[in-house]
Amino acid sequence: MDRRTFLKIGGGLVLGAAIAPLPQLVSLLRAEDTASGKTKLGMVIDLNKCKPGCTICVDACRKENNVPPDNYWLRVANIKPKFPNAQNRPIPLLCNHCEDPFCVKVCLVKASFKRKDGIVLIDEHRCIGCRYCMIVCPYKSRSFVFKKTNKWTNPDVPKRMHGVVEKCNFCVHRIDKGLMPACVDACPEKAMVFGNLNNSQSEIAKLIASGKTKTIRPDLSSKPKVYYLGL
Amino acid sequence: MKIYFTKIEGKTIRFYLLVAVLTVLASGGLYSSYLMYTKGHYLTGMNNQVPWGMPIVLTIYLIGLSAGSLVLSSLSSVFGQTEYKSFARVAAYLAALLLVGALLSLSLDLGRPERITMAFFYLNPTSIFSWNGFLYSAYIVICIVYLWAMFTERAKWVKAIGTLAVVWAICVHSGTGAIFGFVSGRELYHSPLTPPSFVAAALSSGTALIIILLLLTFKCTKRYLDPQLIIGLSRLLVAFILVVFYLIVIENLTRLYAPATYEAAHFLLFSGNEYCLVFWIGLILIGSIIPAIILFNPKTKDSIGWIVFSSVLVVIGVLCERFIIVIPGQVFPVELFPGYEVSSPFMDGAIGSYLISPLEVIQAVGILAIVGLLYVLGLKLFALLPTEAKK
Repeated sequence: MDRRTFLKIGGGLVLGAAIAPLPQLVSLLRAEDTASGKTKLGMVIDLNKCKPGCTICVDACRKENNVPPDNYWLRVANIKPKFPNAQNRPIPLLCNHCEDPFCVKVCLVKASFKRKDGIVLIDEHRCIGCRYCMIVCPYKSRSFVFKKTNKWTNPDVPKRMHGVVEKCNFCVHRIDKGLMPACVDACPEKAMVFGNLNNSQSEIAKLIASGKTKTIRPDLSSKPKVYYLGL
Repeated sequence: MKIYFTKIEGKTIRFYLLVAVLTVLASGGLYSSYLMYTKGHYLTGMNNQVPWGMPIVLTIYLIGLSAGSLVLSSLSSVFGQTEYKSFARVAAYLAALLLVGALLSLSLDLGRPERITMAFFYLNPTSIFSWNGFLYSAYIVICIVYLWAMFTERAKWVKAIGTLAVVWAICVHSGTGAIFGFVSGRELYHSPLTPPSFVAAALSSGTALIIILLLLTFKCTKRYLDPQLIIGLSRLLVAFILVVFYLIVIENLTRLYAPATYEAAHFLLFSGNEYCLVFWIGLILIGSIIPAIILFNPKTKDSIGWIVFSSVLVVIGVLCERFIIVIPGQVFPVELFPGYEVSSPFMDGAIGSYLISPLEVIQAVGILAIVGLLYVLGLKLFALLPTEAKK
């Protein structure tokens, strides 16, 4: 074997070795489930108990979290089947804290992250305000702080400066103290149930196990953790 | 035949006047960015339904122009078309400037631009936008090394780095297209054709811009430019225009065919709104059909005047294409409940709205002025232009 052939074969082997790990890089396209702990927090909302025109949960959320006037962390939408003489029904919409969140996957600086208990949070000190997460979220859960605000109704919640993205965080400051999120507590009909999906004895786990709950756009495979009864 | 590259004198009144005008425009742009930064993005036309507006359109447009310029600058060293060696340096320099302009537009659009360094410390491997940050910065380094190789006349280096530059330019612009194409939640974004269509539009807009700028630059500096070179470039231009057109047709036909994406595609194409106008008149008529006719017609295809005119049309048309990619996909609501009508105080289910605000326009003009200023000053500082460009 002469030197040229040796170099050619050697070069081919090196190139092959360099390309070999490439198929594994494809797995980077899927966000890893880093936060798979014992707790998996989620919510069930019973639409049969939701009263038309009621916005008590929305107002409680706004007050609890200092949500700017044009932004919504939790909102009540009205849905009506495309059918003659159909009726409007209310449906509270909030961040679904997905198990495979699109926002966490695309955040440039990993400001959006999934905590071990499954809550999707935003590190507001790191968020650069590029708004890509808002583009990819299929549920329109996120709002951008467009204006500087100085009015803070709740001193317990961190202030967010303008230029960052924010969303529902399951009132993490409350649940870390053992309380329920503000919306769950405020609902007079007890339409919202919050708890650990992994605890088979919890009310929420039993509701979901009954097979009567549905999520929004399950076809997108983001695996949302907000379920609806009566959807 | 040796080509001699020299700096321009740059001492005429006209030159100083140009520099002054560009500086004023650039300052205006930076001031509007300052206002947006300190007071908040409510000063722009963006809102929670349309969080990405003109700054992002300008960013992807400039990246496209840059990638196209870089591929053109490599025509002689990589693709063997040695007659284009005369403007390899100018095109490569322009590519670097246009990407700097794009990054400027992107950074100034951030809610918290002072945190831009975070993007370099925290590469998120699952985020194509994050990968692009790495690709863009490496791209500028490659451009600088490429220019160095050309200035020091190292032919082997020029060929090697030129090849890397072409590959990198394609990666950069495919990555930019993937920012939109990978978004599975929005019907008007999700598409495997977006990366190749971005590359095609980059090549067509880059070629058109180079044609216009070369003619202007050589005319203003009173250097000879062989019309055959421009005619050669125009042949490339018409090929790129056809590829762009083909990809747009396929993409929209596919979307119209599938019931899941039909409503979104219909909104963009046939509902009679402003996006339809931009699509049909801006992109199809002005950006594709009229330039293609001019560049195929035997009476006009060899006339420099007509070539410049069609290049201007292409430059406008591709800007319209970038607009069509970014805005309608946000304006058309995400489908939360198929088969249901949705309404809410957060504009769920409603067609969004986006009006370009004056501040965004001033900022865009300012960024273009900065690119122009760096170009004009670069001609004076570096030996970018050949004394004459002959075929």
